[in-house]
Amino acid sequence: MNEMALLQNYLIVGGLLFAIGLIGFLVRRNMIVMFLCAEMMLQGISLSLVAFGRFHGNLGGQMMVLFIITVAACEAAIALALILMLFQRSQTLDIAFWQNLREEGQPRFVDQQIPEEIEDEREWPQLTPAGVEPELDLEQQRHRTRV
Amino acid sequence: MNLAGFLLAEGSEDAACAWCQSYPCLASLSCWGIVAGALGLLLMLPGGWKRGRYLGVLLGCAGLGLLAADLPWFGDLAHQVFFWLLAGTALVAAVIAISVRSPIYTAIWFAISLLGVAGLFLYQEAPFLGVVTIAVYAGAIVVTFLFVLMLAQPAGHTVYDRVSWGWLPKPFAVIAAAALTGLMTFAVASLPSTAPIPTADPIAGDTATSGAPDHMANLGNTLFGTHLVSVEVAGTLLLVALVGAIAIVIHGKQPQLPNQGVEGARNDE
Repeated sequence: MNEMALLQNYLIVGGLLFAIGLIGFLVRRNMIVMFLCAEMMLQGISLSLVAFGRFHGNLGGQMMVLFIITVAACEAAIALALILMLFQRSQTLDIAFWQNLREEGQPRFVDQQIPEEIEDEREWPQLTPAGVEPELDLEQQRHRTRV
Repeated sequence: MNLAGFLLAEGSEDAACAWCQSYPCLASLSCWGIVAGALGLLLMLPGGWKRGRYLGVLLGCAGLGLLAADLPWFGDLAHQVFFWLLAGTALVAAVIAISVRSPIYTAIWFAISLLGVAGLFLYQEAPFLGVVTIAVYAGAIVVTFLFVLMLAQPAGHTVYDRVSWGWLPKPFAVIAAAALTGLMTFAVASLPSTAPIPTADPIAGDTATSGAPDHMANLGNTLFGTHLVSVEVAGTLLLVALVGAIAIVIHGKQPQLPNQGVEGARNDE
């Protein structure tokens, strides 16, 4: 197999994953989704590192990815604790709620128009009923209410 | 075509760009793939118009296909198909994760994307990392995310999942990411297409036979030999993060505390 082609493919896929995470981080406003996008960027970098490590034939890339996973776990713990704390104070996960932290002199961001929720998206996942519905035994029910 | 020509001209200045020069049309193919993918992503992101999402999916798939067709081939069809199945899983799930409205689905699609990445790790002769990615990321971190979503997400779909920061950041973010990916694609494509043989390294010989039980032994040796101090530091970091997270949550339970602190400081002055 062509090692160079493998490296190039892995680098491109890693770069694409990084770019997708970048777009999500810049575009989404839900704090948890933003954080997931940051994790996605880390995944893209991990792919590149592993590909480089394999190409050079040593384990340095894999070591770095191991430490990335460790740091990501710490990061997740702290960020989720912070997000929970912010939610308790503001009752929203919207990052725009905290825009008072913006740079001085910047205009305040206000939503111009809020699109209506599309009907299709109001569907919630449902569990398909399984098995046979048991027949109601009135005697048993009365007994239960007494208990 | 202008952009492709420009990038090609930039790339072909490098004498080593044999690949670009022999297949100039292919090089522009990946350029158009990135453009199509960026447009598709722009249409798929939240806050767009509904019909646009289907068009976006089509454009995104076309872009990924163009890019995949343009990348150098492994010379082995089975490897190629296998690689692009895994990479496609990771990339498509990632795109769905950032474009779907409900954060719960975002977390689940992110976990699927992680499965693809773990498969790519396995394919790259890093079985330990693949397993760790599934166990730690998909198993622990994503589940923690779901817990926090259940604790923190108000009922139903929220407004801020449907809108972005006005109209401006979406195209700009997509353009920035497309420029980044495009430049990197052309930089990677201008690499010499024949690999320099890696220098004979004692570790290199070992990784060549990975998948064998040797791999784990080598990994452990490197981790606890060369990187022993880093392991200790990482362990300390985990402990500090644990204590810090608990401290943050305890303080967050008392919203008045910081204000009182500030007032108390003022009174002291």
